[in-house]
Amino acid sequence: MKTKYMNPYLAGVLLGLVLLMAFFFSGRGLGASGAVKSVVVAAVDVVAPEHTANSGYYSKYVGEGKSPMKAWLVFEMIGVLVGGFLSGAFSGRLKWKVEHFPGITANRRLIFAGMGGILFGFGSQLGRGCTSGSALTGMASLSVAGFVSMMVIFGTAFALAFFLRKNWI
Amino acid sequence: MTIRNIIFIGLILLGVVIAMVPENTTKPYKLTAEDMLVEVQGAAEMVTADEVAHWLVSKDPSLQLIDVRTPDEFQKYHLEGAINIPISVILKDENRDYVDQGIKMNVLYSNGTIGSHQAWMILRQLGFENNYVMQGGLNYWFDTIMNPQKPASTSPDEEFAKYDFRKAASGVFGGGSGVALTAPTQSKADKPKVKRKKKKKAPAGGC
Amino acid sequence: MGPLVPQEIIGADWNLFIAFAIGIGFGFVLEQAGFSSSRKLAGMFYGYDTVVLKVFFTGAITAMLGLLFFSLFGWIDLNLIYVNPTFLGSAIVGGVIMGAGFIIGGFCPGTSVCAAAIGKIDAMIFIGGIFLGIFFFAEGYPLLKDFYMSGSMGPLKVSDVFGISGGVLALIVIITAIVMFKLGELAEKRWPREEY
Repeated sequence: MKTKYMNPYLAGVLLGLVLLMAFFFSGRGLGASGAVKSVVVAAVDVVAPEHTANSGYYSKYVGEGKSPMKAWLVFEMIGVLVGGFLSGAFSGRLKWKVEHFPGITANRRLIFAGMGGILFGFGSQLGRGCTSGSALTGMASLSVAGFVSMMVIFGTAFALAFFLRKNWI
Repeated sequence: MTIRNIIFIGLILLGVVIAMVPENTTKPYKLTAEDMLVEVQGAAEMVTADEVAHWLVSKDPSLQLIDVRTPDEFQKYHLEGAINIPISVILKDENRDYVDQGIKMNVLYSNGTIGSHQAWMILRQLGFENNYVMQGGLNYWFDTIMNPQKPASTSPDEEFAKYDFRKAASGVFGGGSGVALTAPTQSKADKPKVKRKKKKKAPAGGC
Repeated sequence: MGPLVPQEIIGADWNLFIAFAIGIGFGFVLEQAGFSSSRKLAGMFYGYDTVVLKVFFTGAITAMLGLLFFSLFGWIDLNLIYVNPTFLGSAIVGGVIMGAGFIIGGFCPGTSVCAAAIGKIDAMIFIGGIFLGIFFFAEGYPLLKDFYMSGSMGPLKVSDVFGISGGVLALIVIITAIVMFKLGELAEKRWPREEY
């Protein structure tokens, strides 16, 4: 198949090396949803500081001398924005657009994207990490949680693929 | 050969190699021989039985006594509040939180000083801090704290002060002349509920 | 030797800078692999494009082998590496919800940020969704807490569960992955589709 993207296996090796460097330097793996969580905590903390101090979930991340935005994952995700942008610029893929299967409207795509995001955000907190933080990183460190996350996430997506085929094919 | 095949073959070869070699379970020493020599000569790891008695009497919360003798010996007699980590299991992961920490002052003891010193040497070379050795061990503890000898009348005043303290302390610890010292005086044989603190360098992460 | 920051070989002040640098590499590789396209990602589940499978598994295996070899050479102390703790119940239910989010939304959090970086508006909406989803979870946490904390098994490793060495497990994963790669390539031939 002709492709404008990098060889997937080569990209995989490079991704693995980036992850290995994260382990080697910082002793931890990659992540994504944790950075959004920090933004949520910081935003709620600005709007309702008393609420964050008293809530069982937020209170872990706020308090004396703690800043939810000064987190490893937040800086990593800022890096992802920069890295993704550089790669897009390098390969001529920078463009404002709503990417969707021609058989559906852009609005439908956006609605489903929003719904998917809500589910993913909720699930990532319940499952203690998303595809990067739990599945990819967890598999590399041989963690049971990583293998379980990977199998359940992909298994569910496969199982539901049939019902959502109109959106994609 | 395509990139894909090179990567497939490379991964399989590396996988076969890593599956065949034994895992590296060695724990690297962090201190050089010279560092150790300096530390041993300085003898800064030693604490005296009197100091330990002081801390025990004043119930110093930072003190953690660690008995490195066998569980049998520990059952028969151990100092108050001591936990038992026999030297044979001192490297086990479940004991790491005790021997590698940054909050308490661990005082290791054995019957003499040999066992505790052996344990201390290993821990220190692994780079763990806050571990000390009780000078003279339990033998010396009995001789001085539990059965203090009255100093000669010509001795300096400090000796008498020491004697008075030891005599008082031995009362606290249930000793004193005439009391059978081998009898187990403690009822708490289990590890006390020391609040397990986070390791100083606990790995952090997650989403 | 490693990990460098937890061992204080590199100062903790550098950690956030390292995070930023690693993030750049992460974002660059994801975008180059095509993970900035939801249609490419979703192709995984319809067989027309299995790039997700290939990149994800090759990445996990490379890092896995790297950790095992680094440990073998004494370059890294695996005791100081974060292993995410297993809470079986919440991991499975969370995974099911994430899987649904994946096929409905077409992204996962990392790839959506990467796609947003090159201007995909659907990815930005997806990120907004993640934000809301996390907010809902945090607000509902008192109700979910018991389930969230249930089935705790600690930082358990698969190799310990099966009583095999990490190296043997890695080899099993590698062989499984290569079989899946072959299946993926067959699927791509079976359901060919123009690339996005």
